[in-house]
Amino acid sequence: MTIHNELSIPYLKTIGIVNNGFNGRGFQNPHSLTIGPDQKIYVLNRCDVARRKAIRIGVMNYDEDYLYEFGYGFGSEDAQLALAVDMVFDSAQRIHVTDEFNNRVNVYSETGEYLTKWGESGSGEGQFDGPSGITTNSQDEMIVVDQRNNRVQKYSMDGQFVFQWGQLGSGEGQFNLPWGVCVDGADNVYVADWRNDRVQKFDNSGNYLMSIGSSVTGDSKLLRPSSVAVDSLGNIYVADWGNERVQVFLNTLRGQATLSKWAKEYFEANPEEKETREISDLTPDLPEHLNSPYHVSSQTESYFWGPVSLCIDADDKLYVVETNRHRVQIFQGAK
Amino acid sequence: MSTQDVTLMAHLMRRAGFSATRSELEKFLDKGYEQTVEDLLSPGDPGNMPDDLIRRYHVEQSELRELSGAGAYWLYRMITTNNPLEEKLTLFWHGLFATGYAKLNQARALLNQIDMFRSYGLGNFKDLLINLSQDPAMIIWLDNNDNHKDAINENYGRELLELFSMGIGNYTEDDVKECARAFTGWTLKNAEYMAMRAGKDSIWPYGRIAWHYEYRNDDHDEGKKTFLGHEGNFNGEDIIQIIVDQQATAKFVATRLFQFFASDDVDSESHDQVISEMMDAYFDSGYEIKSVLRTLFNSDYFKSDECMYSRVKGPVESVVGTARLAGSYQLPQMDVDKLWFQTMFMGQGVLAPPTVEGWHEGVEWIDSGSLVERVNYAAKEFGDTTKSGVRDIISRLSDTYSEQINVPDLVDGCLDLIGPIQVGDHTRNSLIDFVSEFSDNNVLDISSFDSKGSKCVAQTLGLIASTREYQLA
Repeated sequence: MTIHNELSIPYLKTIGIVNNGFNGRGFQNPHSLTIGPDQKIYVLNRCDVARRKAIRIGVMNYDEDYLYEFGYGFGSEDAQLALAVDMVFDSAQRIHVTDEFNNRVNVYSETGEYLTKWGESGSGEGQFDGPSGITTNSQDEMIVVDQRNNRVQKYSMDGQFVFQWGQLGSGEGQFNLPWGVCVDGADNVYVADWRNDRVQKFDNSGNYLMSIGSSVTGDSKLLRPSSVAVDSLGNIYVADWGNERVQVFLNTLRGQATLSKWAKEYFEANPEEKETREISDLTPDLPEHLNSPYHVSSQTESYFWGPVSLCIDADDKLYVVETNRHRVQIFQGAK
Repeated sequence: MSTQDVTLMAHLMRRAGFSATRSELEKFLDKGYEQTVEDLLSPGDPGNMPDDLIRRYHVEQSELRELSGAGAYWLYRMITTNNPLEEKLTLFWHGLFATGYAKLNQARALLNQIDMFRSYGLGNFKDLLINLSQDPAMIIWLDNNDNHKDAINENYGRELLELFSMGIGNYTEDDVKECARAFTGWTLKNAEYMAMRAGKDSIWPYGRIAWHYEYRNDDHDEGKKTFLGHEGNFNGEDIIQIIVDQQATAKFVATRLFQFFASDDVDSESHDQVISEMMDAYFDSGYEIKSVLRTLFNSDYFKSDECMYSRVKGPVESVVGTARLAGSYQLPQMDVDKLWFQTMFMGQGVLAPPTVEGWHEGVEWIDSGSLVERVNYAAKEFGDTTKSGVRDIISRLSDTYSEQINVPDLVDGCLDLIGPIQVGDHTRNSLIDFVSEFSDNNVLDISSFDSKGSKCVAQTLGLIASTREYQLA
């Protein structure tokens, strides 16, 4: 099988390696990435059921030095996380983490001290049923996707409810289990409307502006988009989760991972495994009953598999978090 | 509709599926028995819980690296599918061509094999055996990656004949060797790297790397072979053609299907008669499994009282059937991995058969430990009046009898709606005694789901699930 990479967006590198343990360098089902003070990279490890007590946030730099990590175990006590989804820094350098099981947002310092929490279960103002994507805008407002209430809520930095919009449906301004969210330089809000197979764009007051996705045919069609990011020039990147790819309107990234620094170090310590790997063809042809984007990605190591979350840093570098491959592929955003 | 019709349809759905709710039975009865059989044999859209929902909430069921997540993923499908026979037959092939996680450490490879059984299970037995022989999980499980032209490994060749197609006594040791020679070169792509990773149980750098089938002509024994009286320069496909043409194969396939779908034991003339008709269907249709099953389900024996309740439910049948009746796991649920552990505790962890022989079925499913697990699990499922299946039963009792229901009606109604199940007088009287303790003047209020009477219905269903009759299919 030939891998086609028709990219105008240069691939830079991959960070990550699977971590089968309960702490330390590497990832375990990474679910979100955000950039913190000093360009440090924060990666949220959701962790599978066998390692769920190790749910944690790992911190590293672009040169792949693993700096530290923090977590308080799986659960519903203060500071703990259960099904963590997304995270973002506010202007006070505090990190806000959504938890779709505990229906709240936990707040930590940049070094991981637990500070506070906000939100509770329900469908009223200030309440959540499955908070997922979270971002901030230039006015220091927190914008949270409330997936099972099918709405977007705005809060102050301290978790005070500001306003909301959205309801269940497929019309303009309506949602079906929305997931990720981001804002652009003008504070317009982009929501990955997951089960409607589209991204919706709103102004800062929640007024509907446009849609990308379901009305578009052909290669640009979205299937269950999970995350969206916008670079400084307004290019829109969508984690086309169900198609196992990232679409950059109108480009497509299928993934082209190479060995990360940590992976290279692993093979340096395991030369015999490196040797056999180097004579292998890891882009196989698949039998007919496995011919779907999910199966192809699951069996083609360089492709995205579970591209669950996107992040763009100040240099317009695009970070693609792959929950099933325990790594992050990095591209230089279009300029 | 007559009680007899309901009883027969419920029997069909216990065997060709995982039990059916009363609503489902009513839909099937509208179509009639034979049309229902045809629909089961021609599965359409399964309508099971969508993959996107499962993968969004369960990262382990998206990556499918480990056993419990992969097992739970399949259980979700069994519980929510509209094609119960398709899943039941897939479970049958999983038991017959038993391939286990213990040696593979690759849950995804096992689920890919399950997908293959789902795709080919109702079709042509020859195609199924060819795909089985090319299945990466099977190649690793029975060492065909170590079967080389200059050093054969007989493991797969032997089990293909003994456990997968003909049965012992129908071939010679020489046939085993010749069969193995024909399957030399049927191996894995990147065999050296995969062997290295398997030896170290390596998941690095980015998780498991899937296995893929590869035919290596340079490692295939091209020499002349003699197999079951035939001579030629046979490759694997030729061997499979000879196998599927054997009377012994027809008997083996028909008998195993009969034991799984009709009766644990094969010990009467009526059993032999049905198996003989299934063998005829096998040859007449050109080895089509669908035809073999159609013959079985439409046979007089299958519809007879003798056949009903003559099998012990397997643990997976029990767990999935109870969940379907109770209306559980219709949406992603945090604790679904425990459901897989439940099948394990009861003796049938899906994707983890103990050996290549699969599980020992029939009465061997039941021992004191596994029985306690079955009873506790069912009591928990039925004991929850928030579950849609339990609420449906309460509503039907209320509609059929009264919101103020007397105790014998409540017990008889529960026995009817959970099956119908027929129990002896002693069991029925014990159930009535239990329910009476909660009643006022032998009457219970089931006007709301949180009333004492409704909770008593739920407990009664749990108790019925602990009876011998409920453990039989």
